Amino acid sequence: MEAIANVMPEAIETAPAPTYINGSHALMQALVAEGVDTIFGYPGGAIMPVYDALYDFQERINHILVRHEQGAGHAAEGYARVTGRAGVCLVTSGPGATNLVTAIADALIDSTPLVCVVGQVAKKLLGTDAFQEADVMGVTMPITKWNYQITSADEVPEVISKAFYIAQSGRPGPVLIDITKSAQLELMTKPFAYERCQSIISYKPRRVPKQEQVEAAAKLINSAKKPYILVGHGVQIAKAEDELREFVEKTGIPVATTLLGQSTISTAHPLYVGWLGMHGNYGPNVMTDQADVIIAIGMRFDDRVTGDASKYIKQAKVVHIEIDPAEIDKIIRADAPVVGDAKEVLKALIPLVNPNDHTVWRNEFRKYDAIEKETITVPELTSQTGKIKMAEVIDLLSKKTKGESILVTDVGQHQMMASRYYQFRRPNSLVTSGGMGTMGFALPAAFGAQVGAPDRQVVAIIGDGCFQMTLQELGTIVQNKQPVKAIILNNNFLGMVRQWQQLFHERRYSFVELQNPDFVTIAKGFGMAGHTCNERESLSDSLDNLLNSDGPYLLEVIVEKEENVFPMVPAGASVAQIRLK
Amino acid sequence: MTTYTICIFTENTIGLLNRITIIFTRRRINIESLTVSETERKGVSRFTIVIKHESREEVEKLVRQIRKIVEVLAVFGYLNDEIVYNEIALFKVSTGLGSKPLDVETINQQYKAWVVYWGLDYVVIEKTGNDTEIFDFFNYIKRHEILEFVRSGRVAVGKTEKGLVEYLPEADWAYYM
Repeated sequence: MEAIANVMPEAIETAPAPTYINGSHALMQALVAEGVDTIFGYPGGAIMPVYDALYDFQERINHILVRHEQGAGHAAEGYARVTGRAGVCLVTSGPGATNLVTAIADALIDSTPLVCVVGQVAKKLLGTDAFQEADVMGVTMPITKWNYQITSADEVPEVISKAFYIAQSGRPGPVLIDITKSAQLELMTKPFAYERCQSIISYKPRRVPKQEQVEAAAKLINSAKKPYILVGHGVQIAKAEDELREFVEKTGIPVATTLLGQSTISTAHPLYVGWLGMHGNYGPNVMTDQADVIIAIGMRFDDRVTGDASKYIKQAKVVHIEIDPAEIDKIIRADAPVVGDAKEVLKALIPLVNPNDHTVWRNEFRKYDAIEKETITVPELTSQTGKIKMAEVIDLLSKKTKGESILVTDVGQHQMMASRYYQFRRPNSLVTSGGMGTMGFALPAAFGAQVGAPDRQVVAIIGDGCFQMTLQELGTIVQNKQPVKAIILNNNFLGMVRQWQQLFHERRYSFVELQNPDFVTIAKGFGMAGHTCNERESLSDSLDNLLNSDGPYLLEVIVEKEENVFPMVPAGASVAQIRLK
Repeated sequence: MTTYTICIFTENTIGLLNRITIIFTRRRINIESLTVSETERKGVSRFTIVIKHESREEVEKLVRQIRKIVEVLAVFGYLNDEIVYNEIALFKVSTGLGSKPLDVETINQQYKAWVVYWGLDYVVIEKTGNDTEIFDFFNYIKRHEILEFVRSGRVAVGKTEKGLVEYLPEADWAYYM
């Protein structure tokens, strides 16, 4: 007893009190443990402790300094779309966070996994209208799959692991983590330990479908005389391209894709019939009214696909394969819903469907193809007079790149033309803002896509209006030496709005004409090579210059001012009312 | 318009009430009443939300959107005949000098309402029941001067054999009791 009494007090005095890492270092460790190699971000007051920790992690995490937080968001989306992994953004509180909002909303509607880490004022200042304090939790609640405010360092590992799990599993989406400056600075009270999240009690997305649902779907498919497959983004998210091809080839069923479903299957595949929607192909749209069984895979019957939903596929039975149960019966009632991951569902479905050959039915699509080709495609591609047409640029680009590039498009006429004329040969090759229709998406998203897919050629197709929304990201592209090829299709108009004003508002062109700057001079100012193409004769050489340049390159093509995109299903009309002119 | 009672079981986290109500707001569905409390299981909250809607289909869609929230464990939508439900109302009634005397016997026996507090010149009467019963009593008691009237949101239990918590995901739930 005496010995102990003598030893103990001394031991207590000399043993160093254990110290643990702070919240910022815990965040860095968590990101490394999650396999994050790239962060798109912008520093500021309330996130400075995290940036200080990042200084020590530069070897392991490539932080890319953007020029505006919206650029960070779209770049992270581009990265996520080509890699299938969550894109990570790091920004400060208040305006830093609110600048991210557009990209977060875009990611939610296009099912893109993001983990956005946002600084926040210290815990004791919450709710005091402190400098750069905004209620980011409140602002982002309706546009995130999940958001959470970290107010103590000890929460960091568990919350970050949940964030990645939620963002990347089920139907992917954006997650926002609001972290107070006090939590960034304070020390953890226990050793850092990281365990990747595997499941959450209140969130259990179904990957493997119920067998009875698969059997009911197979029965409908096997009984169909005129079956028709509509493929959405969900197939590429599930990496189910091979299973889709096997399913399609076994059943002989024609396949169309949505806008975001494009490139899931090669456009050269004999069973591919085209793409759906307001400006999609003629046959694929009108034939939805002929099919007796519609097999919708990983798509959500967006109004741009259905037109007037009350008149859409009324004659058909519907098999709806979808990972998000809230999408079943949301717009179109499903006769055979199958909830599950597209890859798992197709794997289960393939053995149950009968081999078939729907050549006669398939050939009916070709009749419409011929009409579309004659009235739209050929005239657009072969006009030898007037200004260059958007279609010619995309068609030539498609040929020169053999359909192998990743196309990143903005929103508007050029987006629809890119979708119409690029012949996709590889999966994950179209990165575009579909659901949100976010102008300014393409330039930063192309940059992010290039970072995520360094071995592929990334070409951004941008409108002159869109370009001016995020052109500051040219600086990011140049500073990070990413060989993004940007093509501006310049018609000096907000072309799609102008087209609607022409067709539906008696040509009352209300604020759609742009007085544009010299885009090439702007690019040069950022240190980026570029030139303008104004003549049809030099278009081919211009594209060669662009594609063969070593670094980033900007090509401005002056195109026909008042060109329209057809076919077109007017807003609110049924797909049967599709217009060819 | 049909009345629907939506019972939502959730983890007990900050901000969840907001996340749930914005789903109603976005679809322009008015919340008639809303009650939140912790269940017999620790850390599990139960929301009881009453709405009126003309389309069952739309209510089913709403339920699926609520279920999509990460912290939501389960959602159930009910018609009135599928549940036992009640509300509680408090009436603060003037009994000052010269006011009409209260007929406590009628209040107790006919309306099943109880005086729960006697002030110097007022009383507080508690009435439990569904909204019709509460308004019947309101019509009766309004012959007196009502100083304050407040009604709670609906609470409801399903008329099923099992308790709704039995439908929650399997886990090591901790219980009160």
